[in-house]
Amino acid sequence: MEARQLSRDYVSTKRSHLVGRKNTTIIRALDRVDFEIQKGELFGLLGPNGAGKTTTVKILCTLLEPTGGRAFVKGHDVVKDAARVRRIVNMVAGGERMLYYRLTGRENLEYFAELYDVPKREIKSRVNTLLELVGLSDRADDEVEKYSKGMKQRLQICRGLINNPEVLFLDEPTLGLDVNIAKDVRKFIREKIVEEQGKTVLLTTHYMYEAEELCDRVGFLNKGKLVAVGQPEGLKRKMPTGFSIEVLVARLTDETLEGLRRLEPVKKVLTTAYEGETEGEKIDRLIVNVDSDRTAPDVLNYLSTMRCRVVSVNIRGPTLEDLFMFYTGE
Amino acid sequence: MFWRVVVAEMEKNINQFFFSSRTLFWTLLLPLGNGLYLYFLYLPFAVRSVSLEFYASWYTLDLVGFTLIGQLLYTFFTMMLLSGTVFDREREQGTLEALLLSPANRIAVIFGGALASAFNYVWFIFGILLSWVAFLGVIIIITDFLALFASVALSYLSLVTLGMCLEAFFIHSRRGVMYATMVQEPVMFFSGLIFPLQAMPRTLLSISFLIPLTFGLLSLRLTLLGGASLSDVVVPLMVLAFMTLLFLVIATWLIGYAERNAKKKATLTQF
Repeated sequence: MEARQLSRDYVSTKRSHLVGRKNTTIIRALDRVDFEIQKGELFGLLGPNGAGKTTTVKILCTLLEPTGGRAFVKGHDVVKDAARVRRIVNMVAGGERMLYYRLTGRENLEYFAELYDVPKREIKSRVNTLLELVGLSDRADDEVEKYSKGMKQRLQICRGLINNPEVLFLDEPTLGLDVNIAKDVRKFIREKIVEEQGKTVLLTTHYMYEAEELCDRVGFLNKGKLVAVGQPEGLKRKMPTGFSIEVLVARLTDETLEGLRRLEPVKKVLTTAYEGETEGEKIDRLIVNVDSDRTAPDVLNYLSTMRCRVVSVNIRGPTLEDLFMFYTGE
Repeated sequence: MFWRVVVAEMEKNINQFFFSSRTLFWTLLLPLGNGLYLYFLYLPFAVRSVSLEFYASWYTLDLVGFTLIGQLLYTFFTMMLLSGTVFDREREQGTLEALLLSPANRIAVIFGGALASAFNYVWFIFGILLSWVAFLGVIIIITDFLALFASVALSYLSLVTLGMCLEAFFIHSRRGVMYATMVQEPVMFFSGLIFPLQAMPRTLLSISFLIPLTFGLLSLRLTLLGGASLSDVVVPLMVLAFMTLLFLVIATWLIGYAERNAKKKATLTQF
């Protein structure tokens, strides 16, 4: 699977008032993106909301036309050979969509099997096998509206596999799922879909731990541009700031933060929201990127000097989350 | 592949919207109210028959039958109109993407959807006939079975293909239900559903001739109530056949155009 200089613009027209003039805005959702995904690879496309992840998936599975560049799935152009591409791909989206709620799980799968021209004699056994695979056999004849979120998501995965696709697109497949169910879904993706069945998978997510657990390679999209591609470990090694000091700190002021950014060993400082407080004080979570773990005392000394109260310190090598923040600035 | 998709689509729609005991019960009773409304509309005028002019010939039609046929065809028209809005529902529940992601023949999909509505209509007919026979004492007399069969078949096909056109058209729009509701009243007026067309101002008559329901009503009323033979109604039947073909061609073109356009403009779902 390959994307060459792939671009997509969205044109949005709005009237200032009921009979006013139309204002046209062009939003570049994808900006000359290049990447290649090998057969049997699980590739993660990461980025914040609005980075262009879903747009990329929709172009690759023929639901959207690019405004520039080209994309190929198994050598077939997604625009010119859309019909062929549709036979060998399928997509699973997060968020309880793409299912008929008033049909049973089995009826849903049988319907999609017909749309994909699955041989008649195979439909029953394939549907049963898939339902068994995701642990829905005992609820197969219940209407989907009676399913829990996790069950709907598992049924969606069955729908995505009904045509035995060579390439599977997973667009935020664990969105809104409980921790345990999301874990099961991830295990299923890695063990059954990739390792057992050898399918090529393009996964989009903004959960970094998910990408870290699943992906062979990742690409970071930011504002429509692909800013980095590679194996997670390789990308981490390339990080200019090798270590991260994660500090939970109380009494942090803007002045302290500015001062910290000016410290010599410090490369980058990011603050993220932390839900919690200690002894009635609000706690902030600081991620301080530094070259060496030996510089940690300097950082902590500075925070103490500025009368901040350090609640906990964790020094670690870079994670995908650090990479994400490094490349996207979020 | 084509017929598999048609059947699958039919089954899906019927299972989703029709096969429940509650729906079956209420759709049997639903036509009663509309039938009573149409019947009582004429009662204060103490008329028993309607004069219908067609090709300089005058036919005297039984009022109850005239109204009953009006209801039968108009209900069908409304059902096909609403079947056209099926993509609105599909878009809302996110299944439109799943559907268009598949390699299924698009014409088969909309044909299956329209046939499912046509199938539902058969049940409505029971409801309509039941209410008219049981409550209003209508007596149905058929004189020319061939003419009746041709009238029924062509009215049916023209409206099914119109439903397909509307389905394809509503891929463009997120306001399918609104448009479908908007056209119901004008069609009721222009098709001659309630009053015979000779009462329509000549300037407005050209609009009537654009609506397949007009010709369906004419041929059915004349063959079922006016004793007209096949040769008497050959013109409206030919128009219906032409409209069926025309709608089919338009639907085929429109579904392809609608999908291409939706992919370009990203209107299947935004972002």
